[in-house]
This record gives sequence, structure tokens and C-alpha cells, in this order.
Amino acid sequence: MRLLALLWSLGPLLWQLRTSLLRPEALVAPLPEGNPWTLANYQLVLSGDPPFWQYLANSTLVGLATTLLTLLLAVPCAYGLQTLRGPIRWGVGLALVAAAMFPTVLLFLALLEIARNFGLANNLLALSLPYAALSLPLAVLLLRAAFADLPGELEDAARLEGLGLGQRLRFVLLPLLGPALASTAILVFLASWNEYAIALTWISRSDLLTLPIAIARIGGGSVFTIPYGAFAAATVLGSLPLLLLVLLAQRSIVSGLTRGAVKG
Amino acid sequence: MKSRTVALVLMLPALLLLAAVFVYPLLRYGWLSLHASSVLTGLVPVPNGGANWGRLLDDARFWTDAGQTLRFALCSVALELVGGLALALLLHRPLRGRGPLRALTLLPWALPTTVMALGWRWILNDPHGPLNAAIRSLGGSSYGFLSTPATTWFFVVLADVWKTMPFVALLLLAGLQTIPLDLEEALRLEGASRLQILRRLTLPLLVPYISLAVLFRLAQALGVFDLIQVLTGGGPAGSTESLALYAYLNAMRFLDFGYASTVMLATFLLLLVSLGGGWLLLRRHGLARTTERAA
Repeated sequence: MRLLALLWSLGPLLWQLRTSLLRPEALVAPLPEGNPWTLANYQLVLSGDPPFWQYLANSTLVGLATTLLTLLLAVPCAYGLQTLRGPIRWGVGLALVAAAMFPTVLLFLALLEIARNFGLANNLLALSLPYAALSLPLAVLLLRAAFADLPGELEDAARLEGLGLGQRLRFVLLPLLGPALASTAILVFLASWNEYAIALTWISRSDLLTLPIAIARIGGGSVFTIPYGAFAAATVLGSLPLLLLVLLAQRSIVSGLTRGAVKG
Repeated sequence: MKSRTVALVLMLPALLLLAAVFVYPLLRYGWLSLHASSVLTGLVPVPNGGANWGRLLDDARFWTDAGQTLRFALCSVALELVGGLALALLLHRPLRGRGPLRALTLLPWALPTTVMALGWRWILNDPHGPLNAAIRSLGGSSYGFLSTPATTWFFVVLADVWKTMPFVALLLLAGLQTIPLDLEEALRLEGASRLQILRRLTLPLLVPYISLAVLFRLAQALGVFDLIQVLTGGGPAGSTESLALYAYLNAMRFLDFGYASTVMLATFLLLLVSLGGGWLLLRRHGLARTTERAA
């Protein structure tokens, strides 16, 4: 069973790895002789204009900016929501769930208009504005659940000590939210790293493309002209950071998603 | 009163950004859908008295795409649910190497959709992809996985299931972790088989999590865009085109923003209706399950 699950999950990825290491002729038919293995695909991708690592850097920049902005907005919002009672709390919670489910592709046209009107197109940092909005609903819901888990006496005690709201958040509450903040940050980063529709319409300069767009552009031609070897090399290079992230942060991701499900 | 004001002030920045990104577009589409705004009008919106909506009702391509999108979403969610449940049960068992196993099975979900969409294009390639190579080595002849209008949609579903099944599995895993072990133990002592435990204990208690996964995934699947754009471009012969892709083409290729807005808004309305229907169905089914268990 375990083997089957692994084969299903990793098989397609391993096949990409194999493809990326083969000479183009060897993809079409077994070579009669000679060594079919090569690193040429990787050289091609890394020496392109712009080089592949540029896309990785772009996606990392957008991901970090988005994560920071999302947490800056989501922490106060989650705290405020947690202290509220009554219909506002209920209404905002419901709106957040609805927004979390909303298919984001339906937003791209109006967002593109905004980008044009405010000169935000082709700006990686500006891209983190809509991305933060897309991630906010889930982030607020996760963090509100985390705030709800903290004992209320803790904050009361801090309040009696004369700590203001900012101090209470910074010195008492946030340090205890470490795990929840980490898993929220990782989920936000992943979502931003993988977003497609908005990046596709906001970014047109080739040196500013994020990874998903750059990779889709490689295959942008007809079905028959895709350089599958080079593309597979790009896939492998683009997957490595995520592989590392998922392996290192598996516990955080699972607990983040599962907590979200339990509380949401 | 005062703490309430503080709470609202703290929430304001986030809520403003959310309104700008989620509420404004819907209002804007509503307005644009009542205007002609295309190359013909020089991209200047001109009121056209609801002509876009009339066109939508007669637009065979829209309704075909609506059916195709619904077919994609229902099949995809159904398969993900079955596969996700199996995966969740596997990941819940205290096996050696459970941590790495969870991480590795989670990987497809963490990768960008476009990346593996192109990967699948290679795997399903006719005739050079590995799947066709395998078929030939078994004595068959190559199959046009992505060029046969009658069946291509199913392979799009498969690629989607591959990517999103881990997400469903994780949600269900969250549910499994809330079931007390001694309940299972008690049933086992009564001599219940594993299948009986699954049916009488596990599944009924999972209903809220299954509902959540179904609603969430249904919403996402009904808005499917990037997978289809990269994997098939909506082809062959438009047989895999989704509503979101049609809306995108109207805006970015035909430069008809008025009609594109109409399609987006109509897609959103269909989504609401489907989700509402799904919710009612799940609730009735869920209630039936719970009463059945109580009896």
C-alpha cells in the first residue's frame, strides 16, 4: 500500500527527472549505441536569457513579500475577530470561508484593470497585494483558531500588569503562536509560489516572470515543438525548492491544514 | 463598546484589501456585463441594454462549456474523495516512516499546477510518451490521449486528481485524528471487521470533513483554469474547455471585456447554485447517516 501511494505520487515526478537527463534523440527512440544520459538540458535551461534561476528568485521575492504582508494584516484581523461577539463575528467568519473557497481565476479581469489604472503591472512587489488578499481568508481563519486556543487568563494577567494592546500582542500572545504562524506562513508562501492566472496577466516582461508562468511559456508553442528535455529540467529545478520545503515543514503543513479543517 | 471599536479598527486593513480584491471585481463585472466594451467600441464601455445576457442565453459554446466544467468537477471530486479517503486511512496508520511518507505523498499538491500540467503532456504524449511506449510494448498501438475529443477530458480529470488528492487526504486525516481510538477498539472487541468499523464508525464521524472537502474542492474544480490552459488549451475541438478558460479567452484573445464579464458572473452564479445544491444534498445525506447510526 505504501509503495503504491509513493509510486502514484512520485512516479510522474521521477519520470520528469529521467526525461531531463536524457539526450533529446533518446526520448524518441532508444539509442542504438552510445551514452543516452546528459546534463545538456540543465545547461540549456540555466544559460537561457534570462537564466532559470531568475524565475526562482522572482517567485521567492513575491512569496516572501506576500507572506510578510499577509501575516501583518492577518494577525491583527484574527485577534480582532476573536475578541468580537455577535453577528459581526459570525458574518465576517462566513465571508472569510466564502472568500477562501472562491476560484481566483474569476477575479483576474477586474484586477488587471486595477493594475493598469494604478500602474501596478510588471511589478513583483505590487503582485503581492492581490496575493495577500487571496491568502488572507485562510490565514485569518487559522490564526483566529490559534488565538482561541490561548488561555484567556493569560491576556487578562498581562492587561492587569498594565501592558497595552501592542505589548500584549508582541510579548505575550505572538510568542505562543509560533507554530501556528509558521504553518500559516508556509501555506501562504506555497499559494503565492503556485499562483497562475493573476501573474499571467500582470507580468509581461520576461525577466520578471514567476516560475509557473515561465514554465508554461516554455510549452507555449504547439504540442509538437515543446523541448521536453529542457522543460523536464526546468520542472526538476523548479520542484527542488518545494521538495525541500515540504520535507522540512511537513509537520507544520499537516498541522496547519488539519487545524484549519477542525476549527473552520 | 471600546474593545469592540478596537477590534473593528484592527480588522479594517485586512477587510479593505479583501473588499478591493473580492467584492469590487464582482460589482465591476455586474456593471461591465450591462455594457458593450470591446475592440468595436474602442474598449470604451457603452451601455447595451442587457444584450450580453441575451447573447449568453443563446451561446451554445457557453452551455457546452458549462456541461464540460460540471462533468470535470463532479468526476474529479468523486475520484479525489475515494482516493483521498484511502490515502488518509493509510497515512493515519502508525507505520514506520509515516512522516516522510506524508511529505512525499503531499508533494503533488505543493507543486505549481502548470509545472506538472506540462509534465502530464509529456507522459500522455502520442506517440513518444511513456504511457504509449508501455502500451506498444504490450502489443497495442499508440493512443491519442490528448487528441481524442471523446476521452481527453478524462485524462484531464486524472491529472487534476493526481494533484489535489493529497489535499483531500489531509482534510480527511484531520477528521480521522479526532476519532477516539477506544471507540474503534470497542467495536473491534465486539468482533466487527475492518470494513464494518469503516462503515459504522469512521465514515459517519467523517461526514463533516467529507462535506468540507467536497464543497471546497467543488468550488475550486468548477473554476478550473490553469491545468486546462496548459495541458490541452481547451482542445481537442474545445472538448475540454472550461467556463473559466472561455471567460479568459473572451477577455484576452477576443478582447471583449463586456461579454467576458458576463461569462465570469454567470460562472459565479452557476457555482453558487451548484454549491448550494451540493450543500443541501450533503446535509440531507449527513443527517440520514447520523440518524442511522443513532438507531
